[in-house]
Amino acid sequence: MKKRIWAGMLTAAIAAGILTGCGGSGSETTAAAGGDNKQAESTAAAGADKQEAGNSQEAAGGERKAFPAGTITMYGTGQPQYLLEYFNAWLERNQDIAAGITLEMVQTEGTAQSRERITMTALAGADDDLPDAVYLDPVNIMDLSQAGLLRDETEYLQPYLSEFVDGAANDATINGKIYGLPDAVRPNVLFYNQEIFDKYEVDPAMMSTFEGYIEAGRQLKEKSNGSVYLSYVSPSSKTWRYWGRRGLMPQANAKIWDDAGNVVIGEDPGTKLALTTLDTMMQEGLLLKSEIMEPALYDAINNQQVATFYIGAFWDEFLRKNCQAVSGQWRVMASPIFEEVGTTGAPVSTYFCIVNKGDNTYAELLEMMWHDFHFDVESRNAWVSKMEADNAPYANPITKTLLEDEFWKEPSEYYGGMSFREMEGKCLANGSKNLVVTPQDAQADEIISAELETYIAGNQSIEDAIANMDKNLKAKIGTAEIIQ
Amino acid sequence: MLKTLKKYRAPYLFILPFFILFLVFQLIPTVWTFYISLTNWRGIGDPQFCGMENYRKLMLDNMFWDALRNTVIYWLTGLVLILVFAVLIANLLNSELLKGRMLFKTITFLPNICAAIAMGLIFRMLFDENTGLINEAMQALGGKRIPWMTSTEYSKLPVIILNVWRNTPWFTMIVLSGLLNISHDYYEAATVDGAGRWKQFWYITMPSLKNILFFCSITLTVDSWKIFNESYILPGPGTSNTSLFQYMYESGFNIFNMGFASAIGVILIIILAVLSLVQMVARRKQGEI
Repeated sequence: MKKRIWAGMLTAAIAAGILTGCGGSGSETTAAAGGDNKQAESTAAAGADKQEAGNSQEAAGGERKAFPAGTITMYGTGQPQYLLEYFNAWLERNQDIAAGITLEMVQTEGTAQSRERITMTALAGADDDLPDAVYLDPVNIMDLSQAGLLRDETEYLQPYLSEFVDGAANDATINGKIYGLPDAVRPNVLFYNQEIFDKYEVDPAMMSTFEGYIEAGRQLKEKSNGSVYLSYVSPSSKTWRYWGRRGLMPQANAKIWDDAGNVVIGEDPGTKLALTTLDTMMQEGLLLKSEIMEPALYDAINNQQVATFYIGAFWDEFLRKNCQAVSGQWRVMASPIFEEVGTTGAPVSTYFCIVNKGDNTYAELLEMMWHDFHFDVESRNAWVSKMEADNAPYANPITKTLLEDEFWKEPSEYYGGMSFREMEGKCLANGSKNLVVTPQDAQADEIISAELETYIAGNQSIEDAIANMDKNLKAKIGTAEIIQ
Repeated sequence: MLKTLKKYRAPYLFILPFFILFLVFQLIPTVWTFYISLTNWRGIGDPQFCGMENYRKLMLDNMFWDALRNTVIYWLTGLVLILVFAVLIANLLNSELLKGRMLFKTITFLPNICAAIAMGLIFRMLFDENTGLINEAMQALGGKRIPWMTSTEYSKLPVIILNVWRNTPWFTMIVLSGLLNISHDYYEAATVDGAGRWKQFWYITMPSLKNILFFCSITLTVDSWKIFNESYILPGPGTSNTSLFQYMYESGFNIFNMGFASAIGVILIIILAVLSLVQMVARRKQGEI
């Protein structure tokens, strides 16, 4: 019996040895067939590099790298929970590499609050509590990248840049390095209620210029006996954000700083043009004073008291969600222009930034998720259809491949058959250049907004507001750092 | 020194935990604040020494002066209104004529246990110009809608009302504890002498409450200069409602201008120290300490 066992073990050992030997020789043969062994290795490595830059993230052996189970935390603004629907479905489809991974989306009030939270966490030294990714705008990218809290994505993004709409990565590029993966580029547009214009026989086409826009407001006010307002004005910082920084200021080619970073807002003709335009609308009572994104304004919209919104394309999601009573009545057109400048609304870019938290385990996985969100036509279109059905938010794509798809030209019921998606894309043409962003802009925004709010409250003239902005910027900031 | 430490080892050991906490969480941060106020620091990286630059900026900053003026208004209105209401309500709660005193004491204390931010949000709804209950009521009574939160003329009122409404109960309880300590014999003797309720209140109750009211005024002063929640949740146009503490927070943690925020902190420390000192000296002169 013992002899049989020994004989069996010996046979097994010999068989294993033969098999191993065969395997080794076969490998060598393959390498030899490929020519130089080193060359084969470098080719494989190059292939792996390319794949790493791409979506598959496959190791040279063909197997995809699996990521450890855990929770990925993202910070987002607006209604970011809807993005989870896409990303969760993505994780479901990629269980081979993402088993046991869950996503957590933390909703912040704005990108500034995301920046505050990240800075506070980093300041407390609690790196583990930092999110893995965050959606940011250029002002906050500037701030966080300066603090070394955002991952440099230049190398990863380089192969894809030509696939995106022009300038998609511009606002996240600081000193030649790209600190955010482009997420959305949405133009400032003009939403208008066609039914109101029809009712009072005012031609919306006249709103192609700001002169015409104001004139339309005057006619609406007169013909409706003051019950219809041209638009709204917020008593809070939102006026500076939507009417100022993202709206009239870039369109009027206004400047806060000169090329050397000196404060010039006080004597800048662009600023004067932008803010006196707002002042004209205010003085003539064309704007309903109401906080934006609040029930009072939604009531006014549903009661056909507000005829237009000069604001970013993002406003579409708020209209659809909160103003179903006027569904089918709204339309979109390019922002009015200042004839002396001639450009339409400036685009607002947001970026998907991966947080530099030491060894960010999920950095590569996040890149893959971002990649598919922008390049996988099928999954993106399915998600957008679901969002539209739910009156939920979504942004236009920024990759040329997706934009060419007929899906993005489909009519929108809410806009009376006009294709909102197509219009959003068209409104990017001839866009104004955004204001220069500096690391001091978060503070500058507070100073400027405080003066504008005081003006809206009726406590100072627009001339005094501009003079005070200039004075306070000079006193508190002095010179801004201009970073290319 | 060592002898004393050895002799009173046990008492010193008992108070040691407090001093450790005081050192770590108060003394060191205070000294650190003084240092940071002399630097430019964004919270991350090394602070860059800039001397008195932050203080110079403060002196030229309209927003700082607005915040200082607002805080003085919150302090004075809070001090007067809260103490007056606290004394009045405490007297009512202490009155033997009041039936169901326990119930009223509980009800009186309720505003103080509600979360300040939640109450602020409710106040924001109440004072909303377009949909707020206050304006609805005023309109129903034939009045006009008032832009409570959107005009600098009225925007501080909701903050003051919220501050007084939330803090009065706490001080009412303190004053009530003082009232309970006043011997009934005084009142009986005064009644025999023919003193009415007003005279009893003015010549017995108020003098007996002096120490309590002094304590309340010190506490209220410190609290009022630290006012944050009320003005933060009920913002007016620009800096019309911003308190000094809020401005310090926003400078520090919204725009991460830590040096500038620390300079505001130092100014706050100095103001509070001076005010406390003035109150202490005044009391000492009156021979009450």
